[in-house]
Amino acid sequence: MATRSSSSQPAVAVRGLERAFKGGIKAVDGLDLEVPEGEIYGFLGPNGAGKTTTVRILVTLLRPTGGEARVAGHDVVSEADAVRRNIGVALQEAAIDPLMSGVELLRMQGALHGMRGSQARGRATELLERVGLTDAGGRRVGQYSGGMRRRLDLAMALVHRPKVLFLDEPTTGLDPTSRNALWREVRGLNDDGTTVFLTTQYLEEAEQLADRVGIIAGGGLVAEGTPAELKSRVGEPTLHVDLAEGADVPAAREALSAVGPLVDCRDDARVAIRAARGKATVPIAIRALDDAGIAVESVEVVSPTLDDVFAAVTGSTLEGAGDAGAADDEVAGVGA
Amino acid sequence: MIALVARESRVVGALGRRALSLQFRRAQLLMPTFVLPLLLLAVIASGTSAGRDLDQFPETSSYLGFVVAGTLLQGALLAGLTAGIAMASDIEGGFFDRLLAAPVHRTSLVLGRLAGTLGLAVLQMAWFLLVALLFGAGYPGGVLGAVGAAVLASLTAVGIGGIAIAIAIRTGSMNLMQSIFPFVFVLLFTAPAFFPRDLLTPTLHDIAAYNPLTYVVEGARGLLQDDSALGDPWLGLLAAVGLAAFSTGLAVLALRDRARRT
Repeated sequence: MATRSSSSQPAVAVRGLERAFKGGIKAVDGLDLEVPEGEIYGFLGPNGAGKTTTVRILVTLLRPTGGEARVAGHDVVSEADAVRRNIGVALQEAAIDPLMSGVELLRMQGALHGMRGSQARGRATELLERVGLTDAGGRRVGQYSGGMRRRLDLAMALVHRPKVLFLDEPTTGLDPTSRNALWREVRGLNDDGTTVFLTTQYLEEAEQLADRVGIIAGGGLVAEGTPAELKSRVGEPTLHVDLAEGADVPAAREALSAVGPLVDCRDDARVAIRAARGKATVPIAIRALDDAGIAVESVEVVSPTLDDVFAAVTGSTLEGAGDAGAADDEVAGVGA
Repeated sequence: MIALVARESRVVGALGRRALSLQFRRAQLLMPTFVLPLLLLAVIASGTSAGRDLDQFPETSSYLGFVVAGTLLQGALLAGLTAGIAMASDIEGGFFDRLLAAPVHRTSLVLGRLAGTLGLAVLQMAWFLLVALLFGAGYPGGVLGAVGAAVLASLTAVGIGGIAIAIAIRTGSMNLMQSIFPFVFVLLFTAPAFFPRDLLTPTLHDIAAYNPLTYVVEGARGLLQDDSALGDPWLGLLAAVGLAAFSTGLAVLALRDRARRT
Protein backbone atom coordinates (compact mmCIF):
# COMPACT_ATOMS: atom_id res chain seq x y z
CA MET A 1 0.00 0.00 0.00
CA ALA A 2 1.09 3.54 -0.65
CA THR A 3 2.42 5.44 2.33
CA ARG A 4 1.28 9.03 2.67
CA SER A 5 3.98 11.59 3.27
CA SER A 6 3.50 15.04 4.72
CA SER A 7 0.97 17.06 2.75
CA SER A 8 3.28 20.11 2.86
CA GLN A 9 5.63 18.39 0.41
CA PRO A 10 5.04 18.63 -3.30
CA ALA A 11 4.07 15.39 -5.02
CA VAL A 12 6.89 15.89 -7.53
CA ALA A 13 9.88 18.19 -7.06
CA VAL A 14 12.63 18.36 -9.66
CA ARG A 15 15.73 20.56 -9.42
CA GLY A 16 18.33 20.91 -12.17
CA LEU A 17 17.59 17.43 -13.46
CA GLU A 18 19.91 16.13 -16.15
CA ARG A 19 20.20 12.93 -18.09
CA ALA A 20 22.92 12.43 -20.67
CA PHE A 21 23.29 9.38 -22.88
CA LYS A 22 26.22 7.94 -24.79
CA GLY A 23 27.79 10.50 -27.07
CA GLY A 24 26.89 13.28 -24.69
CA ILE A 25 23.30 13.62 -25.91
CA LYS A 26 21.34 15.36 -23.16
CA ALA A 27 17.73 14.21 -23.19
CA VAL A 28 17.00 16.23 -20.05
CA ASP A 29 19.04 19.33 -19.41
CA GLY A 30 18.61 21.29 -16.20
CA LEU A 31 14.90 20.65 -15.70
CA ASP A 32 13.13 22.33 -12.78
CA LEU A 33 9.51 21.70 -11.93
CA GLU A 34 7.20 21.23 -8.98
CA VAL A 35 3.82 19.56 -8.83
CA PRO A 36 1.71 20.09 -5.70
CA GLU A 37 -0.36 17.25 -4.29
CA GLY A 38 -3.77 16.80 -5.86
CA GLU A 39 -2.92 18.43 -9.16
CA ILE A 40 -3.14 17.11 -12.72
CA TYR A 41 0.09 18.25 -14.31
CA GLY A 42 0.29 18.12 -18.08
CA PHE A 43 3.81 17.62 -19.41
CA LEU A 44 3.60 18.76 -23.00
CA GLY A 45 6.16 18.43 -25.73
CA PRO A 46 6.97 16.79 -29.04
CA ASN A 47 8.69 13.43 -29.45
CA GLY A 48 12.32 13.67 -28.39
CA ALA A 49 11.73 16.67 -26.12
CA GLY A 50 12.68 14.69 -23.02
CA LYS A 51 9.22 13.82 -21.67
CA THR A 52 9.68 10.07 -21.53
CA THR A 53 13.21 10.34 -20.15
CA THR A 54 11.92 12.61 -17.38
CA VAL A 55 9.09 10.22 -16.52
CA ARG A 56 11.43 7.23 -16.52
CA ILE A 57 13.66 9.05 -14.04
CA LEU A 58 10.69 9.98 -11.85
CA VAL A 59 9.43 6.38 -11.75
CA THR A 60 12.95 5.11 -10.89
CA LEU A 61 13.54 3.26 -14.18
CA LEU A 62 16.41 5.55 -15.14
CA ARG A 63 19.04 7.29 -13.04
CA PRO A 64 19.65 10.99 -13.50
CA THR A 65 23.18 12.07 -14.39
CA GLY A 66 22.70 15.38 -12.61
CA GLY A 67 20.33 17.30 -10.36
CA GLU A 68 17.75 15.74 -8.08
CA ALA A 69 14.18 14.57 -8.17
CA ARG A 70 11.80 13.73 -5.33
CA VAL A 71 8.46 11.99 -5.72
CA ALA A 72 5.98 11.79 -2.83
CA GLY A 73 8.71 13.26 -0.65
CA HIS A 74 11.30 10.60 -1.50
CA ASP A 75 14.50 10.84 -3.54
CA VAL A 76 14.24 8.80 -6.74
CA VAL A 77 17.80 7.47 -6.40
CA SER A 78 18.48 6.98 -2.70
CA GLU A 79 14.88 6.13 -1.73
CA ALA A 80 13.80 4.40 -4.92
CA ASP A 81 11.83 1.69 -3.10
CA ALA A 82 9.81 4.26 -1.15
CA VAL A 83 9.08 6.09 -4.41
CA ARG A 84 7.89 2.83 -6.01
CA ARG A 85 5.50 2.20 -3.11
CA ASN A 86 3.85 5.56 -3.66
CA ILE A 87 3.51 5.70 -7.42
CA GLY A 88 1.38 4.11 -10.08
CA VAL A 89 2.87 3.88 -13.54
CA ALA A 90 1.26 3.46 -16.95
CA LEU A 91 4.03 3.78 -19.50
CA GLN A 92 3.76 4.35 -23.24
CA GLU A 93 2.37 1.55 -25.40
CA ALA A 94 0.75 -0.25 -22.44
CA ALA A 95 3.36 -3.02 -22.02
CA ILE A 96 0.96 -5.76 -20.97
CA ASP A 97 1.58 -9.44 -21.52
CA PRO A 98 -0.95 -10.47 -24.19
CA LEU A 99 -0.98 -14.08 -23.02
CA MET A 100 -2.30 -13.21 -19.56
CA SER A 101 -5.86 -12.31 -18.66
CA GLY A 102 -6.87 -9.02 -17.06
CA VAL A 103 -7.61 -10.75 -13.75
CA GLU A 104 -4.25 -12.54 -13.74
CA LEU A 105 -2.36 -9.33 -14.43
CA LEU A 106 -4.16 -7.42 -11.70
CA ARG A 107 -3.61 -10.20 -9.17
CA MET A 108 0.06 -10.39 -10.09
CA GLN A 109 0.35 -6.61 -9.73
CA GLY A 110 -1.27 -6.95 -6.30
CA ALA A 111 1.32 -9.55 -5.30
CA LEU A 112 4.11 -7.24 -6.49
CA HIS A 113 2.75 -4.66 -4.07
CA GLY A 114 2.67 -7.11 -1.19
CA MET A 115 -1.00 -8.08 -1.24
CA ARG A 116 -2.11 -11.51 -0.11
CA GLY A 117 -4.09 -13.69 -2.50
CA SER A 118 -7.61 -12.87 -1.28
CA GLN A 119 -6.78 -9.17 -0.98
CA ALA A 120 -5.39 -9.07 -4.53
CA ARG A 121 -8.41 -10.98 -5.86
CA GLY A 122 -10.82 -8.52 -4.24
CA ARG A 123 -8.92 -5.51 -5.51
CA ALA A 124 -8.78 -6.98 -9.03
CA THR A 125 -12.57 -7.39 -9.08
CA GLU A 126 -13.05 -3.86 -7.79
CA LEU A 127 -10.71 -2.32 -10.38
CA LEU A 128 -12.09 -4.28 -13.32
CA GLU A 129 -15.50 -2.90 -12.43
CA ARG A 130 -14.12 0.61 -12.11
CA VAL A 131 -12.57 0.59 -15.59
CA GLY A 132 -15.50 -1.26 -17.16
CA LEU A 133 -13.70 -4.52 -17.88
CA THR A 134 -15.59 -6.90 -15.60
CA ASP A 135 -16.89 -9.01 -18.47
CA ALA A 136 -13.51 -9.09 -20.23
CA GLY A 137 -11.46 -9.76 -17.09
CA GLY A 138 -11.07 -13.47 -17.75
CA ARG A 139 -10.05 -13.03 -21.37
CA ARG A 140 -6.45 -12.86 -22.52
CA VAL A 141 -5.24 -9.31 -23.08
CA GLY A 142 -4.21 -10.19 -26.64
CA GLN A 143 -7.92 -10.15 -27.46
CA TYR A 144 -8.46 -6.65 -26.02
CA SER A 145 -8.86 -3.51 -28.11
CA GLY A 146 -6.36 -0.66 -27.71
CA GLY A 147 -8.77 1.22 -25.44
CA MET A 148 -9.38 -1.83 -23.24
CA ARG A 149 -5.63 -2.39 -22.88
CA ARG A 150 -5.13 1.23 -21.81
CA ARG A 151 -7.91 0.95 -19.25
CA LEU A 152 -6.41 -2.26 -17.90
CA ASP A 153 -3.00 -0.58 -17.79
CA LEU A 154 -4.57 2.21 -15.75
CA ALA A 155 -6.23 -0.30 -13.43
CA MET A 156 -2.88 -2.03 -12.89
CA ALA A 157 -1.32 1.28 -11.96
CA LEU A 158 -4.04 1.78 -9.34
CA VAL A 159 -3.87 -1.62 -7.60
CA HIS A 160 -2.05 -0.28 -4.51
CA ARG A 161 -3.90 3.07 -4.40
CA PRO A 162 -0.87 5.18 -5.37
CA LYS A 163 -0.39 8.71 -4.21
CA VAL A 164 1.07 9.90 -7.51
CA LEU A 165 0.02 8.46 -10.86
CA PHE A 166 2.31 8.74 -13.90
CA LEU A 167 0.62 8.42 -17.25
CA ASP A 168 2.95 8.51 -20.23
CA GLU A 169 0.96 9.44 -23.34
CA PRO A 170 -2.03 7.39 -22.17
CA THR A 171 -4.30 8.06 -25.13
CA THR A 172 -1.86 7.81 -28.04
CA GLY A 173 -3.50 5.78 -30.78
CA LEU A 174 -6.94 5.67 -29.13
CA ASP A 175 -10.20 6.52 -30.87
CA PRO A 176 -12.13 9.56 -29.54
CA THR A 177 -14.60 7.44 -27.55
CA SER A 178 -11.85 5.50 -25.76
CA ARG A 179 -9.93 8.72 -25.22
CA ASN A 180 -12.92 10.42 -23.60
CA ALA A 181 -13.52 7.39 -21.36
CA LEU A 182 -9.92 7.47 -20.18
CA TRP A 183 -10.09 11.23 -19.55
CA ARG A 184 -13.20 10.72 -17.41
CA GLU A 185 -11.38 8.07 -15.40
CA VAL A 186 -8.33 10.30 -14.89
CA ARG A 187 -10.55 13.17 -13.71
CA GLY A 188 -12.33 10.80 -11.32
CA LEU A 189 -9.03 9.64 -9.86
CA ASN A 190 -7.91 13.21 -9.38
CA ASP A 191 -11.22 14.00 -7.67
CA ASP A 192 -10.37 11.18 -5.26
CA GLY A 193 -7.12 12.98 -4.38
CA THR A 194 -4.59 11.30 -6.66
CA THR A 195 -1.91 13.54 -8.12
CA VAL A 196 -1.57 12.88 -11.85
CA PHE A 197 1.57 13.53 -13.85
CA LEU A 198 0.51 13.23 -17.46
CA THR A 199 2.76 13.42 -20.48
CA THR A 200 1.14 14.10 -23.80
CA GLN A 201 1.74 15.51 -27.22
CA TYR A 202 -1.95 16.23 -27.66
CA LEU A 203 -2.83 19.87 -26.99
CA GLU A 204 -6.47 19.03 -26.46
CA GLU A 205 -5.58 16.45 -23.83
CA ALA A 206 -3.48 18.92 -21.89
CA GLU A 207 -6.17 21.56 -22.17
CA GLN A 208 -8.98 19.22 -21.15
CA LEU A 209 -7.27 17.53 -18.23
CA ALA A 210 -4.42 19.52 -16.81
CA ASP A 211 -4.66 22.03 -13.97
CA ARG A 212 -1.23 23.24 -15.02
CA VAL A 213 0.87 22.60 -18.09
CA GLY A 214 4.63 22.46 -18.43
CA ILE A 215 6.07 22.71 -21.93
CA ILE A 216 9.34 20.88 -22.45
CA ALA A 217 11.61 21.40 -25.42
CA GLY A 218 15.24 20.44 -25.86
CA GLY A 219 15.27 18.78 -22.45
CA GLY A 220 14.23 21.86 -20.47
CA LEU A 221 11.04 23.52 -19.33
CA VAL A 222 10.31 26.50 -21.59
CA ALA A 223 6.92 27.54 -20.17
CA GLU A 224 4.65 26.59 -17.30
CA GLY A 225 1.25 27.67 -15.99
CA THR A 226 -2.46 27.00 -16.26
CA PRO A 227 -3.68 26.67 -19.84
CA ALA A 228 -5.41 30.06 -19.48
CA GLU A 229 -2.27 31.72 -18.10
CA LEU A 230 -0.10 30.34 -20.85
CA LYS A 231 -2.50 31.48 -23.54
CA SER A 232 -2.81 34.91 -22.03
CA ARG A 233 0.98 35.28 -22.22
CA VAL A 234 0.84 34.85 -25.98
CA GLY A 235 -1.73 37.55 -26.49
CA GLU A 236 -5.34 38.62 -26.14
CA PRO A 237 -8.23 37.07 -28.03
CA THR A 238 -9.00 38.61 -31.42
CA LEU A 239 -12.43 39.59 -32.71
CA HIS A 240 -12.86 38.85 -36.41
CA VAL A 241 -15.72 40.54 -38.25
CA ASP A 242 -16.70 39.37 -41.75
CA LEU A 243 -18.50 42.24 -43.47
CA ALA A 244 -21.50 41.82 -45.76
CA GLU A 245 -20.85 42.18 -49.50
CA GLY A 246 -20.45 45.83 -50.52
CA ALA A 247 -19.93 47.07 -46.98
CA ASP A 248 -17.78 50.15 -46.45
CA VAL A 249 -14.55 48.61 -45.14
CA PRO A 250 -12.77 51.88 -44.12
CA ALA A 251 -15.90 52.97 -42.20
CA ALA A 252 -16.03 49.57 -40.48
CA ARG A 253 -12.37 49.84 -39.51
CA GLU A 254 -12.99 53.31 -38.09
CA ALA A 255 -16.05 52.14 -36.10
CA LEU A 256 -14.24 49.09 -34.68
CA SER A 257 -11.08 51.03 -33.83
CA ALA A 258 -13.13 52.72 -31.13
CA VAL A 259 -13.82 49.29 -29.57
CA GLY A 260 -10.28 47.91 -29.66
CA PRO A 261 -6.89 48.21 -31.39
CA LEU A 262 -7.02 47.08 -35.01
CA VAL A 263 -5.17 43.95 -36.05
CA ASP A 264 -3.75 43.44 -39.54
CA CYS A 265 -6.02 41.29 -41.62
CA ARG A 266 -5.22 39.75 -45.00
CA ASP A 267 -8.83 39.38 -46.08
CA ASP A 268 -10.22 42.67 -47.53
CA ALA A 269 -13.75 41.84 -46.38
CA ARG A 270 -12.68 41.15 -42.81
CA VAL A 271 -11.75 43.49 -39.99
CA ALA A 272 -10.06 42.32 -36.81
CA ILE A 273 -9.46 43.97 -33.44
CA ARG A 274 -7.91 42.92 -30.14
CA ALA A 275 -10.64 41.69 -27.77
CA ALA A 276 -9.23 41.92 -24.27
CA ARG A 277 -12.65 41.11 -22.80
CA GLY A 278 -13.15 38.10 -25.04
CA LYS A 279 -16.73 37.32 -26.01
CA ALA A 280 -17.99 40.34 -24.06
CA THR A 281 -16.54 42.46 -26.87
CA VAL A 282 -19.01 41.01 -29.42
CA PRO A 283 -22.16 43.06 -28.53
CA ILE A 284 -20.10 46.25 -28.24
CA ALA A 285 -18.57 45.72 -31.68
CA ILE A 286 -21.95 44.84 -33.24
CA ARG A 287 -23.53 47.99 -31.75
CA ALA A 288 -20.67 50.16 -33.06
CA LEU A 289 -21.01 48.71 -36.57
CA ASP A 290 -24.79 49.01 -36.45
CA ASP A 291 -24.52 52.66 -35.41
CA ALA A 292 -22.21 53.23 -38.41
CA GLY A 293 -24.75 51.53 -40.69
CA ILE A 294 -22.44 48.68 -41.66
CA ALA A 295 -23.90 45.24 -42.40
CA VAL A 296 -22.15 42.26 -40.85
CA GLU A 297 -22.10 38.66 -42.11
CA SER A 298 -20.46 36.92 -39.16
CA VAL A 299 -18.46 37.57 -36.00
CA GLU A 300 -15.92 35.29 -34.35
CA VAL A 301 -13.71 35.56 -31.25
CA VAL A 302 -10.44 33.65 -31.70
CA SER A 303 -8.42 32.88 -28.58
CA PRO A 304 -4.74 31.84 -28.60
CA THR A 305 -4.27 28.07 -28.38
CA LEU A 306 -1.64 26.04 -26.60
CA ASP A 307 -0.16 25.49 -30.03
CA ASP A 308 0.28 29.26 -30.29
CA VAL A 309 1.93 29.16 -26.88
CA PHE A 310 4.21 26.36 -28.00
CA ALA A 311 5.10 28.24 -31.17
CA ALA A 312 5.82 31.40 -29.17
CA VAL A 313 8.13 29.70 -26.66
CA THR A 314 9.89 27.26 -28.95
CA GLY A 315 9.67 28.88 -32.37
CA SER A 316 7.93 25.88 -33.92
CA THR A 317 4.48 24.32 -33.81
CA LEU A 318 3.94 21.24 -31.68
CA GLU A 319 2.80 19.07 -34.57
CA GLY A 320 5.69 20.22 -36.73
CA ALA A 321 8.26 19.51 -34.07
CA GLY A 322 7.36 15.85 -33.74
CA ASP A 323 10.59 14.45 -35.11
CA ALA A 324 12.83 17.08 -33.64
CA GLY A 325 15.09 14.96 -31.48
CA ALA A 326 16.40 11.50 -30.99
CA ALA A 327 17.03 11.67 -27.28
CA ASP A 328 13.98 9.63 -26.27
CA ASP A 329 14.78 7.06 -28.92
CA GLU A 330 18.06 6.68 -27.11
CA VAL A 331 16.12 5.82 -23.95
CA ALA A 332 14.36 2.97 -25.69
CA GLY A 333 17.73 1.56 -26.62
CA VAL A 334 19.01 1.74 -23.08
CA GLY A 335 16.03 -0.07 -21.58
CA ALA A 336 15.41 -0.41 -17.90
CA MET B 1 12.32 -9.44 8.69
CA ILE B 2 9.77 -12.27 8.63
CA ALA B 3 7.24 -9.96 7.02
CA LEU B 4 9.78 -9.00 4.37
CA VAL B 5 10.58 -12.63 3.59
CA ALA B 6 6.86 -13.46 3.43
CA ARG B 7 6.24 -10.52 1.13
CA GLU B 8 9.12 -11.40 -1.21
CA SER B 9 8.02 -15.05 -1.17
CA ARG B 10 4.62 -13.96 -2.45
CA VAL B 11 6.36 -12.04 -5.23
CA VAL B 12 8.53 -15.05 -6.15
CA GLY B 13 5.43 -17.26 -6.09
CA ALA B 14 3.42 -14.92 -8.31
CA LEU B 15 6.25 -14.51 -10.82
CA GLY B 16 6.95 -18.24 -10.79
CA ARG B 17 3.29 -19.06 -11.48
CA ARG B 18 3.27 -16.56 -14.32
CA ALA B 19 6.47 -17.97 -15.84
CA LEU B 20 5.16 -21.52 -15.68
CA SER B 21 1.67 -20.79 -17.01
CA LEU B 22 3.04 -18.72 -19.91
CA GLN B 23 5.29 -21.61 -20.87
CA PHE B 24 2.16 -23.63 -21.69
CA ARG B 25 0.56 -20.72 -23.56
CA ARG B 26 3.50 -20.32 -25.93
CA ALA B 27 3.31 -23.24 -28.33
CA GLN B 28 6.74 -22.35 -29.73
CA LEU B 29 8.28 -23.09 -26.32
CA LEU B 30 6.44 -26.35 -25.71
CA MET B 31 7.95 -28.05 -28.74
CA PRO B 32 11.60 -27.69 -27.68
CA THR B 33 10.96 -28.35 -24.01
CA PHE B 34 8.61 -31.35 -24.13
CA VAL B 35 8.89 -32.88 -27.60
CA LEU B 36 12.40 -32.31 -28.99
CA PRO B 37 14.26 -34.24 -26.25
CA LEU B 38 11.96 -37.23 -26.79
CA LEU B 39 12.58 -37.14 -30.53
CA LEU B 40 16.32 -37.18 -29.91
CA LEU B 41 15.84 -39.99 -27.40
CA ALA B 42 13.97 -42.01 -30.03
CA VAL B 43 16.75 -41.43 -32.57
CA ILE B 44 19.52 -42.27 -30.10
CA ALA B 45 17.75 -45.31 -28.65
CA SER B 46 16.96 -46.81 -32.03
CA GLY B 47 20.06 -45.73 -33.93
CA THR B 48 22.89 -46.33 -31.50
CA SER B 49 21.69 -49.23 -29.38
CA ALA B 50 24.40 -51.41 -30.94
CA GLY B 51 26.87 -49.43 -28.85
CA ARG B 52 25.66 -51.49 -25.92
CA ASP B 53 27.60 -54.44 -27.35
CA LEU B 54 30.93 -52.62 -27.00
CA ASP B 55 33.22 -53.84 -24.27
CA GLN B 56 33.43 -50.46 -22.55
CA PHE B 57 29.65 -50.18 -22.32
CA PRO B 58 28.51 -50.94 -18.79
CA GLU B 59 25.94 -53.56 -17.92
CA THR B 60 22.49 -51.97 -17.67
CA SER B 61 18.96 -53.28 -17.41
CA SER B 62 17.94 -51.49 -20.64
CA TYR B 63 19.66 -49.24 -23.16
CA LEU B 64 16.70 -46.83 -23.03
CA GLY B 65 17.05 -46.69 -19.27
CA PHE B 66 20.71 -45.73 -19.75
CA VAL B 67 20.24 -42.98 -22.33
CA VAL B 68 17.14 -41.40 -20.74
CA ALA B 69 19.50 -39.63 -18.32
CA GLY B 70 20.79 -37.71 -21.34
CA THR B 71 17.22 -36.78 -22.21
CA LEU B 72 16.72 -35.39 -18.71
CA LEU B 73 19.85 -33.32 -19.17
CA GLN B 74 18.75 -32.07 -22.58
CA GLY B 75 15.36 -31.14 -21.15
CA ALA B 76 17.09 -29.24 -18.35
CA LEU B 77 19.24 -27.32 -20.82
CA LEU B 78 16.23 -26.36 -22.94
CA ALA B 79 14.11 -25.40 -19.92
CA GLY B 80 16.93 -23.15 -18.76
CA LEU B 81 17.32 -21.58 -22.18
CA THR B 82 13.59 -20.80 -22.45
CA ALA B 83 13.85 -18.91 -19.15
CA GLY B 84 16.33 -16.59 -20.84
CA ILE B 85 14.17 -16.26 -23.95
CA ALA B 86 11.12 -15.40 -21.84
CA MET B 87 13.12 -12.85 -19.85
CA ALA B 88 14.41 -11.22 -23.06
CA SER B 89 10.83 -11.16 -24.36
CA ASP B 90 9.70 -9.32 -21.22
CA ILE B 91 12.54 -6.82 -21.59
CA GLU B 92 11.91 -6.20 -25.29
CA GLY B 93 8.15 -5.91 -24.80
CA GLY B 94 8.47 -3.49 -21.87
CA PHE B 95 6.83 -5.79 -19.32
CA PHE B 96 10.05 -5.99 -17.36
CA ASP B 97 9.81 -2.22 -16.74
CA ARG B 98 6.53 -2.87 -14.95
CA LEU B 99 8.32 -5.29 -12.65
CA LEU B 100 11.21 -2.89 -12.10
CA ALA B 101 8.80 -0.10 -11.18
CA ALA B 102 7.31 -2.24 -8.40
CA PRO B 103 8.64 -2.11 -4.82
CA VAL B 104 10.20 -5.57 -4.87
CA HIS B 105 13.71 -6.78 -4.18
CA ARG B 106 15.64 -7.25 -7.43
CA THR B 107 16.69 -10.75 -6.37
CA SER B 108 13.00 -11.73 -6.24
CA LEU B 109 12.62 -10.87 -9.92
CA VAL B 110 15.35 -13.39 -10.76
CA LEU B 111 14.15 -16.01 -8.26
CA GLY B 112 10.57 -15.70 -9.53
CA ARG B 113 11.66 -16.48 -13.06
CA LEU B 114 13.81 -19.39 -11.83
CA ALA B 115 10.92 -20.74 -9.74
CA GLY B 116 8.97 -21.04 -12.97
CA THR B 117 11.92 -22.83 -14.58
CA LEU B 118 12.09 -25.25 -11.65
CA GLY B 119 8.37 -26.00 -11.94
CA LEU B 120 8.70 -26.53 -15.68
CA ALA B 121 11.69 -28.83 -15.24
CA VAL B 122 9.89 -30.98 -12.66
CA LEU B 123 6.99 -31.49 -15.09
CA GLN B 124 9.40 -32.16 -17.97
CA MET B 125 11.38 -34.78 -16.05
CA ALA B 126 8.23 -36.60 -14.93
CA TRP B 127 7.02 -36.59 -18.54
CA PHE B 128 10.31 -37.88 -19.98
CA LEU B 129 10.68 -40.62 -17.38
CA LEU B 130 7.08 -41.72 -17.86
CA VAL B 131 7.28 -41.83 -21.67
CA ALA B 132 10.58 -43.73 -21.55
CA LEU B 133 9.06 -46.16 -19.04
CA LEU B 134 6.11 -46.77 -21.36
CA PHE B 135 8.57 -47.55 -24.15
CA GLY B 136 10.44 -50.09 -22.08
CA ALA B 137 13.04 -48.20 -20.08
CA GLY B 138 14.02 -49.98 -16.90
CA TYR B 139 14.61 -48.09 -13.65
CA PRO B 140 16.22 -50.47 -11.18
CA GLY B 141 16.63 -47.52 -8.83
CA GLY B 142 12.84 -47.46 -8.47
CA VAL B 143 10.71 -44.45 -7.69
CA LEU B 144 13.31 -42.97 -5.35
CA GLY B 145 15.98 -43.25 -8.02
CA ALA B 146 13.69 -41.61 -10.58
CA VAL B 147 12.79 -38.80 -8.20
CA GLY B 148 16.47 -38.28 -7.38
CA ALA B 149 17.38 -38.11 -11.07
CA ALA B 150 14.53 -35.65 -11.69
CA VAL B 151 15.75 -33.46 -8.82
CA LEU B 152 19.29 -33.39 -10.22
CA ALA B 153 18.05 -32.48 -13.69
CA SER B 154 15.61 -29.86 -12.36
CA LEU B 155 18.34 -28.16 -10.35
CA THR B 156 20.46 -28.17 -13.48
CA ALA B 157 17.62 -26.46 -15.36
CA VAL B 158 17.74 -23.72 -12.71
CA GLY B 159 21.51 -23.49 -13.16
CA ILE B 160 21.28 -23.12 -16.92
CA GLY B 161 18.29 -20.78 -16.47
CA GLY B 162 20.37 -18.47 -14.31
CA ILE B 163 23.06 -18.20 -16.99
CA ALA B 164 20.43 -17.63 -19.71
CA ILE B 165 18.70 -14.96 -17.61
CA ALA B 166 22.02 -13.22 -16.98
CA ILE B 167 22.67 -13.09 -20.74
CA ALA B 168 19.10 -11.88 -21.37
CA ILE B 169 19.45 -9.10 -18.80
CA ARG B 170 22.78 -7.99 -20.24
CA THR B 171 21.65 -8.03 -23.87
CA GLY B 172 17.86 -7.59 -23.69
CA SER B 173 17.70 -9.34 -27.05
CA MET B 174 15.37 -12.20 -27.82
CA ASN B 175 17.10 -12.84 -31.15
CA LEU B 176 20.41 -13.32 -29.40
CA MET B 177 18.84 -15.69 -26.88
CA GLN B 178 17.37 -17.77 -29.67
CA SER B 179 20.73 -17.87 -31.44
CA ILE B 180 22.24 -19.50 -28.33
CA PHE B 181 20.06 -22.56 -28.97
CA PRO B 182 22.78 -24.59 -30.79
CA PHE B 183 25.11 -24.23 -27.81
CA VAL B 184 22.72 -26.44 -25.89
CA PHE B 185 23.90 -29.32 -28.05
CA VAL B 186 27.55 -28.37 -27.56
CA LEU B 187 27.07 -28.60 -23.79
CA LEU B 188 25.09 -31.81 -24.18
CA PHE B 189 27.64 -33.60 -26.32
CA THR B 190 30.63 -32.46 -24.30
CA ALA B 191 29.11 -34.44 -21.44
CA PRO B 192 28.58 -38.21 -21.56
CA ALA B 193 24.85 -37.67 -22.11
CA PHE B 194 24.14 -40.72 -24.22
CA PHE B 195 27.37 -42.74 -24.00
CA PRO B 196 29.64 -43.73 -21.14
CA ARG B 197 32.57 -41.42 -20.62
CA ASP B 198 34.98 -44.21 -21.52
CA LEU B 199 33.54 -44.37 -25.03
CA LEU B 200 34.23 -40.70 -25.75
CA THR B 201 37.29 -39.71 -27.78
CA PRO B 202 40.29 -38.78 -25.62
CA THR B 203 39.82 -35.07 -26.28
CA LEU B 204 36.12 -35.14 -25.51
CA HIS B 205 36.84 -37.34 -22.49
CA ASP B 206 39.15 -34.64 -21.13
CA ILE B 207 36.67 -31.85 -21.85
CA ALA B 208 33.88 -33.80 -20.18
CA ALA B 209 35.86 -33.89 -16.96
CA TYR B 210 35.55 -30.09 -16.79
CA ASN B 211 31.87 -29.98 -17.74
CA PRO B 212 29.72 -29.94 -14.58
CA LEU B 213 26.89 -31.48 -16.57
CA THR B 214 28.98 -34.66 -16.80
CA TYR B 215 28.54 -35.24 -13.07
CA VAL B 216 24.84 -34.43 -13.22
CA VAL B 217 24.07 -36.89 -16.01
CA GLU B 218 26.27 -39.60 -14.50
CA GLY B 219 24.70 -39.04 -11.08
CA ALA B 220 21.21 -39.27 -12.56
CA ARG B 221 22.18 -42.42 -14.41
CA GLY B 222 23.58 -43.93 -11.25
CA LEU B 223 20.30 -43.20 -9.45
CA LEU B 224 18.08 -44.53 -12.23
CA GLN B 225 20.12 -47.70 -12.67
CA ASP B 226 20.87 -48.07 -8.97
CA ASP B 227 24.54 -48.45 -9.85
CA SER B 228 27.06 -46.11 -8.28
CA ALA B 229 29.64 -47.29 -10.81
CA LEU B 230 27.69 -45.36 -13.46
CA GLY B 231 27.88 -42.13 -11.52
CA ASP B 232 28.03 -40.67 -8.03
CA PRO B 233 24.69 -39.03 -7.15
CA TRP B 234 26.28 -36.84 -4.47
CA LEU B 235 28.83 -35.53 -6.93
CA GLY B 236 25.94 -34.87 -9.32
CA LEU B 237 24.05 -33.03 -6.59
CA LEU B 238 27.10 -30.95 -5.77
CA ALA B 239 27.53 -30.02 -9.44
CA ALA B 240 23.83 -29.18 -9.88
CA VAL B 241 23.55 -27.12 -6.68
CA GLY B 242 26.86 -25.40 -7.37
CA LEU B 243 25.80 -24.48 -10.89
CA ALA B 244 22.39 -23.23 -9.69
CA ALA B 245 23.93 -21.11 -6.93
CA PHE B 246 26.64 -19.70 -9.20
CA SER B 247 24.30 -18.83 -12.07
CA THR B 248 21.62 -17.33 -9.79
CA GLY B 249 24.28 -15.06 -8.37
CA LEU B 250 25.37 -14.22 -11.90
CA ALA B 251 21.83 -13.25 -12.89
CA VAL B 252 21.32 -11.11 -9.77
CA LEU B 253 24.61 -9.33 -10.44
CA ALA B 254 23.61 -8.75 -14.06
CA LEU B 255 20.36 -7.16 -12.89
CA ARG B 256 22.12 -4.94 -10.37
CA ASP B 257 24.64 -3.92 -12.99
CA ARG B 258 21.85 -3.08 -15.42
CA ALA B 259 20.19 -0.91 -12.78
CA ARG B 260 23.48 0.87 -12.16
CA ARG B 261 24.10 1.45 -15.86
CA THR B 262 20.65 2.92 -16.43
